[in-house]
Amino acid sequence: MSKRKIVFLVFMLASIVMVGCSNSDNAKANNEDERDDQLVLAVGGEPDEGFDPTTGWGRYGSPLFQSTLLKRDNDLSIVEDLAKDYKVSDNGLVWTVTIRDDVQFSDGEPLTAEDVVFTFETAAKSQSVIDLTNVETIEQMDQYTVQFTLEQPQSTFVSLLVTTGIVPKHAYNDQYREQPVGSGPYQLVQWDKGQQLMVEANPYYYGDTPSFKRLTFLFLSEESALAAAQAGDVDVVSVPATYANQTIDGMDLAAVQSVDNRGIMFPYVQTGEETEEGHPIGHDVTADRAIRQAINLAIDREALVEGVLEGHGTPAYTVADGLPWWNADTVIEDADPEEATAILNEAGWFKGEQGIFEKDGLKAAFTLHYPTGDRIRQSLAMAVASQLQPFGMDIRTEGKSWSELETLMYSNPVMMGWGSHDPIEIYNLFSSETRGEGYYNANYYSNETVDHYLQQAMHATSQEEANQYWQQAQWDGETGHSAKGDAPWAWLVNLDHLYYIREGLNIGEQKVQPHGHGWPITDFITNWHWTDERED
Amino acid sequence: MNNKVRKRKYSLRQRTIAKIVIALVLLLIMVVSSLLIGPDRLGVNLDLRNQSPSLDFLFGTDWLGRDMLARTLKGLVLSLGVGVLAAFASTCIALLLSLVAAWSSWTDRLVSWLIDLFLSVPHLVTLILISFTVGGGFKGVVIGLSLTHWPSLTRVLRAELLQIKQAEYIQVSKRLGKTRGWIARHHYLPHLMPQLLIGFTLLFPHAILHEAAVTFLGFGLSAEQPAIGVILSESMNYLTTGMWWLAFFPGLSLVCMVALFDLLGQSVRKMIDPYHAMK
Repeated sequence: MSKRKIVFLVFMLASIVMVGCSNSDNAKANNEDERDDQLVLAVGGEPDEGFDPTTGWGRYGSPLFQSTLLKRDNDLSIVEDLAKDYKVSDNGLVWTVTIRDDVQFSDGEPLTAEDVVFTFETAAKSQSVIDLTNVETIEQMDQYTVQFTLEQPQSTFVSLLVTTGIVPKHAYNDQYREQPVGSGPYQLVQWDKGQQLMVEANPYYYGDTPSFKRLTFLFLSEESALAAAQAGDVDVVSVPATYANQTIDGMDLAAVQSVDNRGIMFPYVQTGEETEEGHPIGHDVTADRAIRQAINLAIDREALVEGVLEGHGTPAYTVADGLPWWNADTVIEDADPEEATAILNEAGWFKGEQGIFEKDGLKAAFTLHYPTGDRIRQSLAMAVASQLQPFGMDIRTEGKSWSELETLMYSNPVMMGWGSHDPIEIYNLFSSETRGEGYYNANYYSNETVDHYLQQAMHATSQEEANQYWQQAQWDGETGHSAKGDAPWAWLVNLDHLYYIREGLNIGEQKVQPHGHGWPITDFITNWHWTDERED
Repeated sequence: MNNKVRKRKYSLRQRTIAKIVIALVLLLIMVVSSLLIGPDRLGVNLDLRNQSPSLDFLFGTDWLGRDMLARTLKGLVLSLGVGVLAAFASTCIALLLSLVAAWSSWTDRLVSWLIDLFLSVPHLVTLILISFTVGGGFKGVVIGLSLTHWPSLTRVLRAELLQIKQAEYIQVSKRLGKTRGWIARHHYLPHLMPQLLIGFTLLFPHAILHEAAVTFLGFGLSAEQPAIGVILSESMNYLTTGMWWLAFFPGLSLVCMVALFDLLGQSVRKMIDPYHAMK
């Protein structure tokens, strides 16, 4: 290439860069003018299934277009929303819910008990994630009263009333998931799949009128979301921890605490068995409680939070840290290799030649799997392996696709993640009834005492009573499914959910967020407002 | 102009040999230094994460505190291994098919058809398809690369054979009653050797670049292996945060290695086959 050509090329490139810059400046200026009652959000989480609550929409956070019978407040206590009142019979089988009589859907039609019955019957028929198999009958008592009769007492039934948005019987059809009508604070204007969702305030909403008339949700990749924030094009953007040490002009970082946890699931039984599909179950090393407890004690969770999450998280000790049904006694003093070594020595594990613990020729070694493409889980897996190497455990890490993990998770430790506002998750993860069912109890954990507590928690008639049993199942002083007891998991960290939020936008106090980034933040969207200090 | 014929200090031959030696020495240094890197240099060190390039870490460190220089060197040698295996296998396939093509007129048509078939689809597509079917990983990539990189070399070899088939000494051999196998062994093969050697070295950079590409797209080597493709695709996520060194140095090193091999191939060609190389 001649010199003249190179000069020309450099000139061309420079001019392209300059044009690019001035364009984004214009966009920014336009945005500032019209931002008063509109917001642009890039919080991800576009639902593949659409916006139909009877197939699972709104389980995380609020359904936005619909409203629910009950809801969880800032402190996760249960308060009324559509319902005026609800009662549980003494045997825990009959739930009677009275709803408000002044509620209208966004098309102006009134919401009655008929719609509530219709919603739950549709959900039961949908074969979706909403588990209503325990519900015997759903009856409409009068225009504003609904009665649910259960087959077995189930204290967690209340969570279904909290998460299921009510759909209108008169406007429900095959297109509903794309054109939802509901009684929530906002109604849908336009949904361009894969690109954006535009909503506007529902004039018939019975609650507080939101300060923002229009919201636009952009569905962007993590990188483009950050780039859009840097260009000043969005007001709220969710970011992974790796981007949290950026400074963006005109935006503040908000970290919301969550129970979106990550932890290692250890196969709990010895090798030998197979699942019905023929996948092997169990791992001889992790079947030893001493190994599992030692790992729990040897890991330095604070270092993981600092190193992998850039400080934006908290150490995790159970699947439900900080929730009303969490037992605070489960917190252990970790980063304690001496104590961990003592436990291993007591169980007959001693350090061999390469500094790796051994027992009867069996080395304390295994492969820790994680889903490929999930950077946080990959980093956690590698960091844990490097922490345990000097301690005396030989851990390889290997990324696999989810479909491969589904065959490997019964016989190999896997980096998993959970965290829910519904305590039934604890039952699903630790009950011997759910062994081998889906992702839940894939490590085949079972403990009679824990089972007993879990049953009692399910059969409890009040939330307080249920919480007490949930806590005892974690640790009752002698046994439990936490690290002090059987330690079937090594819970590592709870991720903070991170958002960059435009200066002057007040999103109020958030509750501890569940697994799943994004939608939970819109839970209290009716409280969002600009603060007065904002310069115009 | 007189400038053009000014006398050079070294002859073309001397310069070519020098290029070959320099390329070989640099490649050797690369391989040896990567063999000297123990697993502890590749380990996670959370205290030293996200370091920009410095004297301690010439290529910087990534978000887990892994030394990028060590990872890059390991990755280059891994790519080198993949390249050697795949280029060798491809060359063997090409040699075999060109000999088959020289057998008779219908085998010649068959081979030409195969070449056209494989050349009609972009390399990368067939490569992804094959390596995905075989199950990915090191094996998948090598098989995929071997099965996709033979057509161009086969075409060259076939043309060469078509030419010498008419040569007098081949005709004489035939009249003397030598079998086609004997002729292939004693006449065709020695004649093709220079082409083969050059074809091998020139296939090499192709194979390496395609390995990096297919791994970058997520169909190749698995995420634990410090392959250049893996390093590059991981670094994509951090470019927006300004960690340029994660992609810059490994990418540059890959280009350098490929350029070295290209230089080596061209120079060897000049030495062995000056007539074609200087055309």
